[in-house]
Amino acid sequence: MSEQNNNQDRRLLEVRDLRVSFFTPAGEVKAVGGISYDLNYDEVMGIVGESGSGKSVEAYSIIGLLQSPGKVIGGSITFEGQDVLAFSKEEMTSFRGSRVAMIFQNPMTCLNPVYTIGNQLVEALKAHDKSISMEGAKKRAMEMLELVGINNVAQRMRQYPHELSGGMRQRVMIAMGLICHPKLLIADEPTTALDVTIQAQILELMKELQKKTHMGIIFITHNLGVVAEICDKVCVMYAGRMVEQGPVNDIFYRPGHPYTVGLLRSMPRVDAESYERLIPIEGTPVDMLNPPEGCPFAPRCEHAMKICLKKMPPYVELGEGHRSACWLRVEEQKNGRPFGPGSAPERQGEDGGSNG
Amino acid sequence: MAKYIIKRVIMAILTILVVACVTFVLMRSVPGSPWNSEKAMTEQQIATLNERYGYDKPLPIQLLTYLKNALQGDLGVSLKMQKDRPVTEIITTMFPLSAKIGVVALVWAVLVGVPLGCLAAYNRGKWVDSLLRVVCTLGISMPGFVIANFLLIGLTGQDSLFGLKAIFDASQGAKAYFMPCVALGLYPMCYVARLTRSSMLDSINQEYIKTARAKGLKTGKIIFKHALRNALIPVITYLGPLVAFTLCGGFVVESVFSIPGLGRYFVQSISNRDYPIIMGTTIFLASFVVVMNLVVDILYRVVDPRIDLTKGGV
Amino acid sequence: MAEKKRKKMIGSLQPNVDTMLEWNDLTAEDFAPATQGEKESFIPQRASISYWRDAWRRLRRNKVAMVALGVLVLLVLFAFVGPLIVPYGYEQFNQGAENLYPWHYSLEDQARLDEATGATGGTMEERVAAAIEQARAEAEAEGKKFTRADEAMIRAQVRSSGGTGAGAGSQEALAQAKRELGIHYQPFGYSIAELQRIEAGEKVFPHVFGTDNNGRDILARTMYATRVSMIIGVAAAAIVLVIGSLYGSVSGYCGGRVDAIMQRIVDVIYSLPEVLVILLLSAVIGPHITAFITDHPGALADFLRTVGPNLAAMFVCFAILYWVGMSRIIRGQVLTIKQQEYVTAARALGASGARIIRRHLLPNCIGQIVVTACLQIPSAIFLESFMSYLGVGVTQPLASLGSMCRDALAGLQTYPYRLIIPAVIICIMILSFNLFGDGLRDALDPRLKK
Repeated sequence: MSEQNNNQDRRLLEVRDLRVSFFTPAGEVKAVGGISYDLNYDEVMGIVGESGSGKSVEAYSIIGLLQSPGKVIGGSITFEGQDVLAFSKEEMTSFRGSRVAMIFQNPMTCLNPVYTIGNQLVEALKAHDKSISMEGAKKRAMEMLELVGINNVAQRMRQYPHELSGGMRQRVMIAMGLICHPKLLIADEPTTALDVTIQAQILELMKELQKKTHMGIIFITHNLGVVAEICDKVCVMYAGRMVEQGPVNDIFYRPGHPYTVGLLRSMPRVDAESYERLIPIEGTPVDMLNPPEGCPFAPRCEHAMKICLKKMPPYVELGEGHRSACWLRVEEQKNGRPFGPGSAPERQGEDGGSNG
Repeated sequence: MAKYIIKRVIMAILTILVVACVTFVLMRSVPGSPWNSEKAMTEQQIATLNERYGYDKPLPIQLLTYLKNALQGDLGVSLKMQKDRPVTEIITTMFPLSAKIGVVALVWAVLVGVPLGCLAAYNRGKWVDSLLRVVCTLGISMPGFVIANFLLIGLTGQDSLFGLKAIFDASQGAKAYFMPCVALGLYPMCYVARLTRSSMLDSINQEYIKTARAKGLKTGKIIFKHALRNALIPVITYLGPLVAFTLCGGFVVESVFSIPGLGRYFVQSISNRDYPIIMGTTIFLASFVVVMNLVVDILYRVVDPRIDLTKGGV
Repeated sequence: MAEKKRKKMIGSLQPNVDTMLEWNDLTAEDFAPATQGEKESFIPQRASISYWRDAWRRLRRNKVAMVALGVLVLLVLFAFVGPLIVPYGYEQFNQGAENLYPWHYSLEDQARLDEATGATGGTMEERVAAAIEQARAEAEAEGKKFTRADEAMIRAQVRSSGGTGAGAGSQEALAQAKRELGIHYQPFGYSIAELQRIEAGEKVFPHVFGTDNNGRDILARTMYATRVSMIIGVAAAAIVLVIGSLYGSVSGYCGGRVDAIMQRIVDVIYSLPEVLVILLLSAVIGPHITAFITDHPGALADFLRTVGPNLAAMFVCFAILYWVGMSRIIRGQVLTIKQQEYVTAARALGASGARIIRRHLLPNCIGQIVVTACLQIPSAIFLESFMSYLGVGVTQPLASLGSMCRDALAGLQTYPYRLIIPAVIICIMILSFNLFGDGLRDALDPRLKK
């Protein structure tokens, strides 16, 4: 019990059965179909999935950036004990930016081209702190820029976004996100649009800042390498459903869902044997407009069973905080076979055995 | 910057030169002459007149002479409509009235059009938007003479509420300008509103608006600081052609309301074959438009720091 | 074990245990591997929709655009089928039916009105004489000269209105009499003579919009004028389309120095005040075309004679000036598409420049082209009516909506409907084209859909 209370104190964000739909003229698109997770202070959670799996939509609903025709139709989001979905418009506005911040994929287009860096930083600060003076705000902005590793800040403040490089702009974005000391940072593919070397720098920076500020980070990406680098735990999303979640080691070494296995297989590895080939996941994602009854991944799944086509799989507990939505795991539990390294399919099983 | 401006100025001068030459050649190739419609004249009289105004010389020499004089600010004298009065003098007396109406029309068009466009974009898909959309499309679908004549029919007459007169009377003050300015400004107003709406929507869908929202800015600030400034760029682009339109749209409005402005005079000068007036007015208006386009191009720089004028444009 | 867990973990991430209990119902059969066929039939396949069908679907959903399309169809019927129904020609003088309003009084009402206003009864001639006498007296009282022209005008007025317009002075009396007697307008214009013919059992087609001062039926004229305006709009858009897209695609495709020179030309034309130049050009070209018609007999001259020199000049102006906007849009499109890999591939395969333009570039610009061309029609109609209004557009005997408005100016205060009718039709026509064009743009380019 005491451990549980302790957990509650450290709890930053609780998402329960969140459902988001887009009401398009063609019909309702269930972009997010009921996902749940917890995030503690000091924790970095990765949300992984391919394009259109609903990972950004899910993040937008936390920060209230969902735009018509998107709508949260069910579930709850609790941030530091407060119900985010019940916020009024004004509360939401002051919530955004001050307690939760978001940075986006493309730093090229995310900064307003017609205002200087300084203007946009100061503006973010003044939006939440009315009492701060212009001078004070500028000073804070410069400190922030220095913190994210930008030199020559006095000059940078007067520059326009197009005068900076991509990596530099992403640093500015991060500085802008962190300027009000948010408790939660949502990073929507922050490194995807950057060169690999810059990617590494930005990841390094985020890790460092997280250590300093103790905030929670939700890191949305489709790059498992980035996840391994920075995350404590991972959610794997497919077609609006969370198919697996768990601590990063469990996900990498004991994946419980064929989709996760597929993702891992399609990722290049430095330690792979030379003859090993990358295996792509066959097929294309489902049509979100008419989602099928059963498991959305079934048509692409090599282990698909009859039940998979009929019923949505339930979540099965595979270990501490590690759960997966797959009938294979149900079958194992039903047959009394405990989940273990040996039972994971194919190569992953072998890898899991040797590494873990 | 200086290099770009110099380049643009050279281009502008070239354009005006082309206009002058083309107008000259076209005009002189019209059968008939300024002396045609007046009372029958003998060959001898015509020859004298031609000699007096230099029309006996070969065309290229006439053109050169004209250009040389024009550069010194001498646009010749009227042949017919106000006989022997210098064209520059005619223009300077007539243009201020046209310009006054044009400027007022433009100002109200922009001041009303931009907010209306924002309003429509902000209420996108709601009834306000649909209403504004149809009204503004109607506004750009009504030719100037229709608007002007409808105003005449609707607002003037014996029992007019506002004491508006069908015929322009400068002594009436602001009242006299009301109808011409409304008639002239309605089209640009609606055009500006439509343009603002679509570029606002463009701008609202940009990622930096998402950033601004994520920062927790208030809606008003997002719309007016972040979206509008970017949305204004295409609107400013349109201001150049808009000036041209207002000047030329002035032709109709001036003739409907019988305003003694330059536009109406120009139309009359064409049918009268008063060569120097045609030339003078064309060159004057063309230069005006060209200069306005230049000004608008430079205005970009003020609004959009991304445009590097030294590299020659957008 | 499961039971215990459930109680402890309320509000946690644990799965719903009830569903876990349902697992017991699952049979081994459920866990048999699914066949490939089952997997394939799992996802309902949606038929892929072609670009045009998709666009049409989007367009159909756009109510405003569909209403506009409906109005356009009605206008086309009005302009092209209407003249077949109306028995009056646009140039036909209907004697005795001059200056009719688009309304009339029935014969009895007319008689009662005449009585009430004290307009002398008796024959038409007597009434005319009385009206003239009255007007002369008024004019003399005001110290003006009463000319024969005035006399003729009043005679025409009295005849056509059946005596009600006996003079401006009696207008108020007339209105009062109407109120007292409870007489209302009947729709459509008929002359007295025509009403008498109806009385006699003859069928007379009404002058729906009245007639002008030559007794020409305004409805018939409006129909022809709409037809002329529409044809001009479409023809001008076609000219602009051909020249603009050719120029734009060549300029964009060739690039380099060719592009630079071609764009300088465009710049020059673009900065010309168009209307100014068109006024000038039509004044200038008109006489040349007239000269051509008289000097060179033949089919072309015949054609030009029908359309009139001014109109031909206007087309020339469109061809010279109005394609610039179109060419810019097309050039921009071509520049973008040129960067695409498939064009590079086609070039690598040795396709000729013309082939690449024809097979790759134009089909990909087609949406833009269609939209721009569609929006060009209203702007051409707009310009034509403007020019005709200024008197440099279509010439007699042809009538366009703009020239009808111009003709109506003479009697604007007395006969405002002569201006209002064509003006409203111009507005509706341009509005419908604009709204439809907007809808088309939204439908063809989903990215622009706002």
